[in-house]
Amino acid sequence: MTDRPAELRPLLWSTGVLLAAVALHVDRLPPWCTLVILGLAGWRLVLALRGRAPPGAVPRTAIGVLLLVSVAYQFSGVSGLAGGSALLAGMGALKLLETRSRRDHFVVIGVSLFLVLAACLDRQALPRLPLYVAVTWLVCTAMAIVGTPQVPLAARAATSLAGRALALSLPVAIALFVFFPRVQGQVWALPGSGAGVTGLSNEMSPGAISELTTAYDPAFRARFSGRPPPARELYWRGPVLQNFDGYTWRREPRSIYRQSPLRYLGTGYRYRITLEPHQRNWWFALDLPVASPDREVRFTWDYMLVSLQPVRQPVSYEARSHTVVRATEPLTPLQRRLALQLPPGRNPRSVALGRALRAQVADDAAFVQALLALFRDGGYAYTLTPPKLDLDSVDDFLFNTRRGFCGHYASAFATLARAAGLPARVVTGYQGGEWNPIGAYFIVRQSDAHAWAEVWLEERGWTRIDPTAVVAPERLDRGFFEALPGAVSTTDRMLREIGWLADARLAWDTLNTWWKDEVVEFDLGSQLSLLSRLGFDSPRLSQLGALLAGAVLAWLGWILLRFGRMERRRDADALARAWRRLGERLAAAGAGREAAEGPVDYAARLRATRPVLGERVGPLLEQYARLRYGPAPAAGEVAAFARAVRALALRESD
Amino acid sequence: MQRDLAEALATLERVILGKPRQLRLCIACLLARGHLLIEDVPGVGKTTLAHALARVFGLGWNRVQFTSDLLPADIVGVSVFDRATQQFEFRKGPVFTQLLLADEVNRASPRTQSALLEAMEERQVSADGQTYVLPEPFFVVATQNPKEQLGTFALPESQLDRFLMRVELGYPDAAHERELLRSGERRDLLERVPAHLDSVRVCQVQQLVRRVHVADALFDYLQRLLRATRERADVKLGLSPRAGQGLLRAAQSWALLAGREAVLPEDVQAVFPSVAAHRLLRRDPAAAADPGEFARELLRAVPVDA
Repeated sequence: MTDRPAELRPLLWSTGVLLAAVALHVDRLPPWCTLVILGLAGWRLVLALRGRAPPGAVPRTAIGVLLLVSVAYQFSGVSGLAGGSALLAGMGALKLLETRSRRDHFVVIGVSLFLVLAACLDRQALPRLPLYVAVTWLVCTAMAIVGTPQVPLAARAATSLAGRALALSLPVAIALFVFFPRVQGQVWALPGSGAGVTGLSNEMSPGAISELTTAYDPAFRARFSGRPPPARELYWRGPVLQNFDGYTWRREPRSIYRQSPLRYLGTGYRYRITLEPHQRNWWFALDLPVASPDREVRFTWDYMLVSLQPVRQPVSYEARSHTVVRATEPLTPLQRRLALQLPPGRNPRSVALGRALRAQVADDAAFVQALLALFRDGGYAYTLTPPKLDLDSVDDFLFNTRRGFCGHYASAFATLARAAGLPARVVTGYQGGEWNPIGAYFIVRQSDAHAWAEVWLEERGWTRIDPTAVVAPERLDRGFFEALPGAVSTTDRMLREIGWLADARLAWDTLNTWWKDEVVEFDLGSQLSLLSRLGFDSPRLSQLGALLAGAVLAWLGWILLRFGRMERRRDADALARAWRRLGERLAAAGAGREAAEGPVDYAARLRATRPVLGERVGPLLEQYARLRYGPAPAAGEVAAFARAVRALALRESD
Repeated sequence: MQRDLAEALATLERVILGKPRQLRLCIACLLARGHLLIEDVPGVGKTTLAHALARVFGLGWNRVQFTSDLLPADIVGVSVFDRATQQFEFRKGPVFTQLLLADEVNRASPRTQSALLEAMEERQVSADGQTYVLPEPFFVVATQNPKEQLGTFALPESQLDRFLMRVELGYPDAAHERELLRSGERRDLLERVPAHLDSVRVCQVQQLVRRVHVADALFDYLQRLLRATRERADVKLGLSPRAGQGLLRAAQSWALLAGREAVLPEDVQAVFPSVAAHRLLRRDPAAAADPGEFARELLRAVPVDA
């Protein structure tokens, strides 16, 4: 079977939209997969252009099996989103090789739509939204073109038809989005990709890092209800590190400890945090949270928030914190032992220094001041590009390099304190955040990552000490950018410093946050609160379902009616055109119709006066009468009539 | 149903020779629930036609010969005092039938004419505060003689509007007249005419007529036609909306008789002269001799396609 040019058009369109849908996944697909898809599509097009038949069943099956095996091997299975998308894309391209009928093209188009859906599941960032819309529109346009082979639809007409269809479906989509009963938990939570781990890790080795990445990506956003705390208080608590081997700080893996009871003082803050996915288990809260914001999140003995599942999707939660707390009970011996643990024989000079400094002062508070004075006056400098340290990292840092960032200072401080018998630990997290005046919230970025120390002071309990603050006080007051000129890329600096660009960036961030909070994060809770604002208090699922089904059905009915009418109008136009054309041909053959003559009378007259001609066009004229004056014609009848008229060749001698 | 109608037509053609088109119009008029006015000189078979119609369609029929002294009560009926019951009793007049032949309707006084026309329109009769519904179907075939003007009261235009169609029979052509002369008395033939339908089925067909499909394109044509009758300079009074409804119904009926499920412009054109000619009031009565010809000329002026 060879392709005639008329059949090339649907093929071009279905190939095109498949490739467009694949393009949405191109950075997720392994390169070989993209190449295979391009190859298959190209092969099909070349065959079609040369009028050759597509390959037979055997090679197609072979390619299919090969594709399946390769994808399964690459993604170790095909059940994940990435593997599934890759397989779908590949199979869609393979389907191109057997596209003969309209139905086959529809399969390819359906695959393309599914690929768009998969892309939506994969990434929901606002900037990708126009892309998804554009590809969906394109796919629907292809559907319109492939779906109407008899009446070749111009690309513009198809685009507008697809646009109208999509616009009409929008209310249904919105209704489904708002009213479709949300299942608690993530229905669409598919196994994530595992790539792109950012943020804080559960260990810290200041000595191993020679250059701190200044990732500008947001870590989370925090919106306070009421007055936000001053910038100096903005310590966002993350992983607490207690185990030190002389080089690396790690989290204490055992959870045999009990949370020390606390008295919360001062003003409390209520806020909502929207956390970006970071593939780890911790949630962040202002130091120090009062309770866990979620049932799925543990409030640990060292006052961390640890979720059962890693944060793979953005999460949003309400939290409460007090910035001033007091312990009401002394430190348990078990915890004290953990907080004093030092690797034997490591960092000997630091240990000696700590003990010596402690011996000079009367109490722990004075000792803390002495340590801070050491950092302030000891010739230490803050840098994001510190030299690497040897295995006794604290010794090397304190006595040799004297240059480092927050991790170095926190580590050194905790080591000195532990050496002197003062319980201490390292807390990592974020400090500060950029205030977005448009959206009235803080954006806390990866570059705001910070580490500080906590020491146990009798009568006060765990107390936050930030040694970095004395070394580089501006780091706290003005944030990172002002602190270190040259540490940031020119683009980022430009974004911050050019007024309108900064405004635009903040506005964009606000919009993006709205999108994430209100659309991506729209869950059962948001749904219920929206419904109650609309006057449905505690709706039952069945009522909601009935309401939804009724509304959607009514809307679909209306659409059907409208499209039916549109279809009839289009058919009527096509019929009128074909009829005019037939009239012109007959007139040219010397057998024109009188204006007041009906088609059947005309046919009868032609049969009587021009028997040959009458026999040929009589049935056409009668078909026209049926189409024009009969009940609604079946699909394709008008097109068939138009084709017959086009195919009609008349001579005057007939 | 279609076959019954075809057979009914064939039977009628055996009785009324050489007038297939007029017969078809008569049936269309009956099926469209209209009333028929036959205008012609005496002796061309008007009465025979009415009688044959009644027979073929299995309808009960009455004939009233209109004269100048005919009173309304002679048609609709009269209340008489019954001595036995000491009450007035309504005696139904000849109008209480399914097919009424009103012969030479223009001979009766306007008062009597209007009594008939009211019954035609309302399909019921009111007497002494009582309403009596006429049987279904109710079909009036009225005849009038156009040539005889003396002592007649010609129906005014407003009354003519009540008749869906006006049909002229005309003289038979030579061949048919020869056959007529040869075969002798038609009334004997009438006695042997079989009934192909009955009143119930006639009502059913009347319902079917209403369901014959009318496309938007046909409505367009119909409206162009109606507008043309109203916009022409030589027409004083065009077709009324009621005439338009009647035209559509008649066209549907015609399409059904032709075995079509939808109305074509041809159907409208076929019934148009009969439906329109007696309703069009022309500015100059002496202008064109034949009103039917005038209607056909109007048809030719209106294109089928917009």
